[in-house]
Amino acid sequence: MIALLRQIRLLTLRSIRARFLRFALSAFGIVLGVAGMLAIGVTNQTALDSITRLFENTSGRAKLSISSATQDVNGFPEQVQRTVGNLPGISAAAPTVRALTAQADEAASDQLDLGLFGMSSSDNVQIYGIDPAIDRQLRDYTLTAGTFLGDNPTAREVVLVENYAADKDLTLGGWFSILTPNGVESLKIVGLMAREGPGQTNNGAFGVIPVATAQELFNRQGQLDQVDILTTNPNPSTDELDALKASLQARLGKDLSVTYPSGQGERMTQMLQNYQIGLNFMSGIALFVGAFLIYNAFAMTVVERTREFGMLRTIGMTRGQVTGLILLEAGTLGVFGSLAGVGAGMLLARGLTRLMETILNSPLNTVEVPFNDMLTSWSIGLAVTLLAAGVPAFQAGRISPMEALRARGKSGEGWLIRRGWMLGLVLLAASTILLIANPFPYDVQFRSGSLTVFGLFSGATLLIPGTVSGWERLTRPLMKVLYGASGSLGSRNVQRSRQRTTLTVAALMVGVAMVIMTRGMTESFAGDLRDWIAAYIGGDIYASSSIPMRSDVGRRIAAVPGVQAVAAIRYLEVDWQTASGVESINLMAYDPVEYTRVTRFVFSDPETDPASVVRRLQAGGAVLVSSVLSEKYGLKPGDTVYLRTRSGFHAFEVAAVVVDFYNQGLVMQGSWNDMRRYFRINDASTFLVKVKTGESIAAVQEIIDTLYGKR
Amino acid sequence: MPVLEANLVKKHYKLGQHTVEALAGVNFKVEKGEFVAIMGPSGSGKSTLLHLLGGLDTPTEGEITLGEKQLSKMNEYQATLARRHNVGFVFQFFNLLPTLTAEENILLPLIIDGKDPKRYKERLESILNIVNLADRRHHKPDQLSGGQQQRVAVARALITQPAILLADEPTGNLDTKSGTAIMELLQRSCRELEQTVIVVTHDPRAAAYAQRVIFLRDGLVVREFPISESTPLAERMSAILAVMRELEAE
Repeated sequence: MIALLRQIRLLTLRSIRARFLRFALSAFGIVLGVAGMLAIGVTNQTALDSITRLFENTSGRAKLSISSATQDVNGFPEQVQRTVGNLPGISAAAPTVRALTAQADEAASDQLDLGLFGMSSSDNVQIYGIDPAIDRQLRDYTLTAGTFLGDNPTAREVVLVENYAADKDLTLGGWFSILTPNGVESLKIVGLMAREGPGQTNNGAFGVIPVATAQELFNRQGQLDQVDILTTNPNPSTDELDALKASLQARLGKDLSVTYPSGQGERMTQMLQNYQIGLNFMSGIALFVGAFLIYNAFAMTVVERTREFGMLRTIGMTRGQVTGLILLEAGTLGVFGSLAGVGAGMLLARGLTRLMETILNSPLNTVEVPFNDMLTSWSIGLAVTLLAAGVPAFQAGRISPMEALRARGKSGEGWLIRRGWMLGLVLLAASTILLIANPFPYDVQFRSGSLTVFGLFSGATLLIPGTVSGWERLTRPLMKVLYGASGSLGSRNVQRSRQRTTLTVAALMVGVAMVIMTRGMTESFAGDLRDWIAAYIGGDIYASSSIPMRSDVGRRIAAVPGVQAVAAIRYLEVDWQTASGVESINLMAYDPVEYTRVTRFVFSDPETDPASVVRRLQAGGAVLVSSVLSEKYGLKPGDTVYLRTRSGFHAFEVAAVVVDFYNQGLVMQGSWNDMRRYFRINDASTFLVKVKTGESIAAVQEIIDTLYGKR
Repeated sequence: MPVLEANLVKKHYKLGQHTVEALAGVNFKVEKGEFVAIMGPSGSGKSTLLHLLGGLDTPTEGEITLGEKQLSKMNEYQATLARRHNVGFVFQFFNLLPTLTAEENILLPLIIDGKDPKRYKERLESILNIVNLADRRHHKPDQLSGGQQQRVAVARALITQPAILLADEPTGNLDTKSGTAIMELLQRSCRELEQTVIVVTHDPRAAAYAQRVIFLRDGLVVREFPISESTPLAERMSAILAVMRELEAE
């Protein structure tokens, strides 16, 4: 051990010090890779923990929640609450009616925010209709001013989050006017609550009103959206809770869903998947570049120190000792580089967490990096360093002691340089076939995607030494024409060290490929996004409301002078049966004929005939799937998808694939008739308005605002 | 009993379709404490012979015995350990590690062998005095002259007290004065430490310090003669040059 430490001190550390810049550059690659990997892992965990905690806080002491299994916008009958409340083992069942609305004074300025994570409006306010007596047994509302809701179940009163009230200049005792399906209604502000616990709902744009008032204002008489359950035993075991959940589910039937409240957090974390995939890919590339830098640095070191290793072999160093010497240098680099990477990763995690907070529009927990995560990242960094330096280290061990006696160091060509093209050809062919044929399901393809790309680059790199001679001969005449004799000599020099040429070309190849890939992906995505936005808001005016609108509003808008056509659109969340389970997606419903009068379809396959798609949708039982779903699940026209309707899962034929990034592309489009028939919904979220040619869009918009803006 | 013995040693190389016979059956013995010079024109096989004697390569035929061990029958690992413990090397280009001081370079073979250099302090001091580098021990190679660097290399070869010290053109990269100092140093190590030394050289002046000169030509020993140490150096050189001319004329 002491002898090893002596060797580290005398040979390893001195060698690193003598080539400090080269080692620092290699270490930078490892720092980058480890930092990226750790930061992404930590940020993801922090986001997940924060979201789970948020749902736990807002759910209070509720042990179970009951909601509609069919995502029915009308909820479920309020008798369910009374039935459940009387069951043994349940001490309280708190009813909730949810309504997303807007302050009446601001409705006219309510605008659609388009983003990659869907649509949102900054002026929405979430209203919960609750039973104040029961609800306070489950949730701790921290009142900061006034009183809580009184006993009168139909009182027109509200308790708002104080930050929201302050933002909107609302004061205690004043009136809060909101949009409802029946017009503007006012509620007296009887109390203000802190933005903590349930006050964190909808990022604090939140208020509670009596449940009967909510039912009346939002035309939800006799309906509830959720019932939260408190058990008689305040701390039931997991088994007891599972048993209760199962018995409730059996009693309530398949139309209602009994869940653990914190499970709702999982839904939100799905939203982050694309972001996480992108970041994971980036951290993989960073690690690859780090490994490449290390291989390059050590390959150069071995060539440069050939005579030194020859001398060491001559005076009695074994092959294993020489290999060990290089691995010790790599190990030292890996230990300190990975350590610095862990430090940088912790800082980067803070930055990414702030970014995630912006995306989620919600504060996250303080970043905490578990020791195990640090240790894992550090170990991976060290292992990648040792692996990358492994080939040069092995080559160093094979250096003949006679190299020490030569007047000039000779760089031998290893097997990979001489015969590697065969392996390269196999790798290149296999990875190209995998990338083009794409035979695996989406999940496997994603997991193996980075490896396939890695195989493609490795294969191309291994082909370089075998083909460099041909390329050089091919380009030599041009070099001679351009630069004369020195051009010809310079061209021949390319063949002098095929290993060095390979590394240089490979580095350039990776760089150029990354630039082209990034540019291609960005342009393709931006192009698709532009097409989609153009079609999505293809109308001249986009009329939306925070609450669903009756479809006859469309007819009235169509009667406005200057309006050529109007298309009603309704978004609803539906369950879709996939091979791996049930996934929640958005269904966008419209009348296909109306829709094409206002805007156009953007099909993935430009050859698709819009008229036949319209006919197919009108015939019923058909949907259009987004290109994202098509790629993810291998869906194509003619396939069948199963969506959960009011009467259970129903088959719909895929009529076409469209470019649609709404809800991250987790979206299908269907006909208005199907929506009414299978989901029993007949109101609109949005109206797309097409203005007649020559008419002023601004003038028509003003008329619509004046007529319907306050509703 | 000889320290080193070569018995009908042959070495063939494949060069494409052709086989080159670098050594065609070399026989000779070297006694303990003897100073032998191997001379010959380019392509005579002297470098090949040095590689075989030092266990850097294996003969195609024949035997090489170092002490009681058959070098020619050892595998790569055994030959490495045999070099570590029994052979000291001095190279034309010094081959010192630039990151180590003179003293650390000298101790390097012991460090590679996992030995504690502190236990060899006395031997180190003695060798530093012989090579006259006690005051330069903490200098790195780039702070030393070519002659001083080669003295460090000689000291490194002596530190393990090897059975033989092999020097490959030790004066080839030095000026006359430094070259003379190195040859005197090797001569002194023979006399004072009873070190067996074999030098491969083109230079008759360097060979004149040896007690015996072996001439190679076309892979065979063609002449071998002893030189009396009492003979003045100039006369020894003249004798070597005369043999060289004689061989060229044949």
